[in-house]
Amino acid sequence: MISFILRRLWLLLPSVLGITLLTFSLIRMIPGDPIEVMVGERTLDPVMHAAALHRLGLDKPLYLQYVDYLRNLAHGDLGQSLITHDNVWTEFKTLFPATLELALAAMMLAVVVGLLAGVIAAIKRGSLFDHGVMGLSLAGFSMPIFWLGLLLIMLFSVKLGWTPVSGRIDLMFDIPPRTGFMVIDAWLAESADPVAYAGAVKDAVMHLILPAIALGTIPMAVIARMTRSSMLEVLREDYVRTARAKGLSPKRVIFVHALRNALIPVLTVIGLQVGTLMGGAVLTETIFSWPGIGKWLIDAIQRRDYPVVQNGILLVAFLVILVNFLVDVLYGIANPRIRHAK
Amino acid sequence: MATQVSSSVADPALNYPSPLKEFWQGFSYNKGAVIGLCFLTLVVFAALFAPLVAPFDPVEQYRDFMLTPPSWSAGGHLRFLLGTDEIGRDMLSRLIYGSRLSLMIGLSAVLTSMLPGILLGLLSAFYPKVLGPLIMRVMDVMMALPSLLLAIAIVAILGPSMLNTIIAIAIVSLPGYVRLVRASAMTELNRDYVTAARVAGAGPMRLMFVTVLPNCMAPLIVHATMSFSSAILDAAALGFLGMGVQPPSAEWGAMLSSARDYIERAWWVVTMPGLTILLSVLAINLVGDGLRDALDPKLKRAA
Repeated sequence: MISFILRRLWLLLPSVLGITLLTFSLIRMIPGDPIEVMVGERTLDPVMHAAALHRLGLDKPLYLQYVDYLRNLAHGDLGQSLITHDNVWTEFKTLFPATLELALAAMMLAVVVGLLAGVIAAIKRGSLFDHGVMGLSLAGFSMPIFWLGLLLIMLFSVKLGWTPVSGRIDLMFDIPPRTGFMVIDAWLAESADPVAYAGAVKDAVMHLILPAIALGTIPMAVIARMTRSSMLEVLREDYVRTARAKGLSPKRVIFVHALRNALIPVLTVIGLQVGTLMGGAVLTETIFSWPGIGKWLIDAIQRRDYPVVQNGILLVAFLVILVNFLVDVLYGIANPRIRHAK
Repeated sequence: MATQVSSSVADPALNYPSPLKEFWQGFSYNKGAVIGLCFLTLVVFAALFAPLVAPFDPVEQYRDFMLTPPSWSAGGHLRFLLGTDEIGRDMLSRLIYGSRLSLMIGLSAVLTSMLPGILLGLLSAFYPKVLGPLIMRVMDVMMALPSLLLAIAIVAILGPSMLNTIIAIAIVSLPGYVRLVRASAMTELNRDYVTAARVAGAGPMRLMFVTVLPNCMAPLIVHATMSFSSAILDAAALGFLGMGVQPPSAEWGAMLSSARDYIERAWWVVTMPGLTILLSVLAINLVGDGLRDALDPKLKRAA
């Protein structure tokens, strides 16, 4: 098992190096050099310009600059924002829990609804419900989620007034950040001081629910489709027939014998959705003014805050690689055939 | 091919159906695909003949009719079928002209990523020692980034414009083509007919493009259709974030972005562009499903 993990880690190395090369060169493809970008429209004294280039090490040959970049990364130095002058890593750390909370909520929704719909559709193959699920999931798959977000706001916030439009919690609550998860922090605060924070948890959940639906729709559609086809495949197997023949209850056959085996391809799909989720978070967070990584990156791009853009993208890519690695390892634990393959 | 010979036989039922007819039989069996094709034809028609179909100029501002609701709802005006936007431009005309942009971006992005994708895919399948793994590692790196984020990053560097949108989407969808072509070329390479061609003295170029490539076309066409729809979706997302086609162009995503401010009082400026995107993307995906059923029977069950 350990050798399997080590082998997988070794395979990650080229990808990780490649990503750093990509983010390194992205920033160098901007027309003009970083100093001009920092100064903006103002004219620059050539001597000062050269001095600034030298100070930042930008007058060295490109490969040395890349080595410098790697060295800084290895020391955990991800640079500073040009706007706030905060460390990029610090900003990432404070904002990441918001994105994680949103992504987890979306994924939970997608898995629960998607699995259930897929299983029922497979059992009732050809029924109206089956056709409904397949049609809806096709629509969900084609859905521009930024539009779905706007529709949700229009219906539930503007028309019905059920949910707030943006942010993570009402401004009248000043929740001390402990875990970074607003729902949990609100719960901690409310249980510590039920009077001052009355209704904080409910408010946090209300803020979370619409963005989670918007972000969860595409994974939900993919999971429902995958579960259905995988269940259909498994239900044809001999061991399912055997289980039925020996008189097990239909529920037990479906949820214990069939679903368990049908889950393997579904798990892979769930792992693959993490990338989609991070991409979708950019759109969802922009629409709902959710203060997470996605909104941070978009704001940075609009303000031409290049260190944030560069290393923010790097961090997100590392995150996706890490999650895929974990899925791989889990898969190896679940399935010995993969672990022992070459 | 053999149909020409058998056409002299008296019983026409013994003839092979022509490839086109066979294809259509497979395709039309899928009802959703036919509906999708009808809608897609409509969109293509509207895009091609936009100046003739659209009732108004897409950038003409009718200042007396700002935010007019669609004609069927209260306060609507028969002149503006789907209503007008915040500065009095006709929604329907903008959507029709927008279809030109979306289809153009989608089509160009598919072509500019498919051609290098085929080449790189074939190369990595034919040279599995050094070149193949090298190409695949680069593709792995590109796939580690969420595609929308990579597209955003590219546009952020190149600057927002229609051309850069196309470039960004083409780069982002490249790995999909490379992996697909490589995988199907590698299966074909083990087949006897390839060995036969090789023994007969076919060079690498001939093997790649004449022997192997035509047999990889079916999954490639299906994938191209699907990536056409995701290109439209990504282009709209970029437009929505203000990083795609710039105003006043009538791009669907950009229309949605400016509609955000009117969400409380003008539902139609929010609903119409999004619905158009959804239906177009859905139609293309349905056509893709149909193509898969018709072209690639092996993939049918995997769907």
